[in-house]
Amino acid sequence: MHLKDTEDHISFRAAARAWLSENVPAGPAPRDGAASRQYALDWVAKCHSGGWSGIGWPADYGGRGLGPDKLVIWYEEYVRARAPSVHDCTFVALNHAGPTLIACGTEEQKAFHLPQILEGRSIWCQGFSEPNAGSDLASLSTTGVVDGDDLVVNGQKIWTSFADIADYQELLIRTEPGSKRHKGLSWVICDMKSPGITVRPIRNMAGTVHFAEVFYDDVRIPLSSVVGGLHNGWATAMTTLGFERKTAAMGMQLDLSVRLEDLIAMAAPKPGSAMAERLADLRAEAAALRAITYRTLFRDQANPSEGSLMRLRFAELAREISETAMECLGAEALADSDWSHLYLESFSETIAGGTAEIQRNIIAERLLGLPREKRA
Amino acid sequence: MSYDLNRNADQRQILDAAEAMLAGSYPLARLREGASDNLAEASGFGAFLLGLPEEQGGAGFGIVEEALVHVLFGRHLLTPRSLAAALAVRLAASSGDDALMAAIAAGETAVAPAVRSGNGYLLIDPAQAGMALVFGAERLELVRIADAAPEAGLGHDLSIARMPANDGQAIAETDEAGLLLLSSLLVSAQLLGVAEAARDMAVEYAGIRRQFGSVIGSFQAIKHHCANMAVGTERISALLDMAALALSDGREDAAFQVAALRRLAPKTALANASLCVQIHGGIGFSDEADAHRFVKQAHILGRLGEGQPLLDLPAPLVAFSRA
Repeated sequence: MHLKDTEDHISFRAAARAWLSENVPAGPAPRDGAASRQYALDWVAKCHSGGWSGIGWPADYGGRGLGPDKLVIWYEEYVRARAPSVHDCTFVALNHAGPTLIACGTEEQKAFHLPQILEGRSIWCQGFSEPNAGSDLASLSTTGVVDGDDLVVNGQKIWTSFADIADYQELLIRTEPGSKRHKGLSWVICDMKSPGITVRPIRNMAGTVHFAEVFYDDVRIPLSSVVGGLHNGWATAMTTLGFERKTAAMGMQLDLSVRLEDLIAMAAPKPGSAMAERLADLRAEAAALRAITYRTLFRDQANPSEGSLMRLRFAELAREISETAMECLGAEALADSDWSHLYLESFSETIAGGTAEIQRNIIAERLLGLPREKRA
Repeated sequence: MSYDLNRNADQRQILDAAEAMLAGSYPLARLREGASDNLAEASGFGAFLLGLPEEQGGAGFGIVEEALVHVLFGRHLLTPRSLAAALAVRLAASSGDDALMAAIAAGETAVAPAVRSGNGYLLIDPAQAGMALVFGAERLELVRIADAAPEAGLGHDLSIARMPANDGQAIAETDEAGLLLLSSLLVSAQLLGVAEAARDMAVEYAGIRRQFGSVIGSFQAIKHHCANMAVGTERISALLDMAALALSDGREDAAFQVAALRRLAPKTALANASLCVQIHGGIGFSDEADAHRFVKQAHILGRLGEGQPLLDLPAPLVAFSRA
């Protein structure tokens, strides 16, 4: 066991720090809409011009093929420099769609999409959840019927983040009529400008628009846009979800640590006070979350369910930190501010990507080996 | 790979050997007989010299390995005299008393852990101990035991004694930062062991006990308790690795990592122990099951010393400086 920066790491860290200090945009990011789209794309384009876009992608596809230790250093320097959130509207393109295409896509799909993603020219969204298939993803019912060289898609998706500003969508649909559960699904690239698509933005409790309902009415998607094989969408989707909880999670939770340090500075609690104790607990929890992430990243054989453990801890800690911030703000908590906005947004953490309850079931069943509950 | 949190072959070997020794000599069932642990087997294993440099009689392992062995001690609810011995060995070594060091390491001189209370000390499991290691917030003291009066301890099965503080008791003392951090690390390691064992016992019982026609572990309410125990344990287990490596490498974030660990470990051990009792239901409240022992051990260990105030330490936003 060891955690040591080598000479190579040290020079990599210095290069990352130097580039970030020159290039991180000043001022806050727009919260939603077209302005947030432009801001995010400009930032990816800037990263690309500096050689810092998709650095974990293989070199053959425009990345730098960096392993987890350098990615961690990058994210450490990234949040230290207060660069734009990694969890913005470019997250799906850079962390799911691109890696999924690299793993499962055709050469044509890769050649067309990967440069656009890396250079900051396209935004992707994820069309997995449906009104009756959120955490129970395998019960989705949006259909795609083969008609000549096309799939004709009908149905509805919901909770689709950034659908209102996205160019493409990772769309999971049922392509084999009458198929059940995990079978008969396909993962397709959906052009969001296709005729027959209606996007209805959903305003969230924080007053911003991040997700939307998407309706498909005889939308024609060429069969050449299927990724990973027709009716083989479950395997492709699992590949996609596998990318989600790796190093990108590191960026999010390091970001949380920085936010907590800001909170401690803002609160300046009296030593020994109840608030000082609470903030010290949060600081310890943030250190522990970071240790869990390092452990998961730098271990040969991590149980995949450890991702749930990390996700659950991150989600609950994000909420606890935001709740504590609201208390520290006092009456000012009633006004709009970064903290009050983050507080309201944090309610999504224990819901999105599988609720905290679902994560606990996964931990109990797959990590601890407890039996599944009897289902009616 | 330059960041590596996998256990290497040497580490796996020492841990397997330690577990075999503990399973053979210190099975949990021994506690039902009520006798105080004899640490001869652990001493014979070399447990109390494990982390010392070879020139001081150590086995060429380090702080990381020693901490991991103390996790196993915690799992077996080994007497906290094991912690007192590990630290007293170092106190004796740093005061130049090689004979005392050797006697403690060999288990010939038993050392009871002690905490200050009122004007004196409470000694924990002091049977046959001639000296006590006092775990203070800012110092460790090795004192002679004199005029100790046994009394009933928590739940009547914890053996304690009360001793007045007098001049002339001191054998050695230290306020050296490294040793205090090591003390916090090893106490936390044992607390982690308690948390792990309580989790495992609860999960095992939840997988056997039937109610309403199903094993209770299939019910979400029980399952979520178990998941919380797993998450709690993973937190301090990962933090223990971080803290032990930081301390072992002399990294500048060592004090921070140890303080964070020391802050969370007692709460986690106690939470898991409490849930273990709860999941056992009525039998969990009885003296006949072992669940209550985790509760008591968590309280004992949690009293041994204190962590540094975490808000006073700089947070490591960039993880690792050059080691």
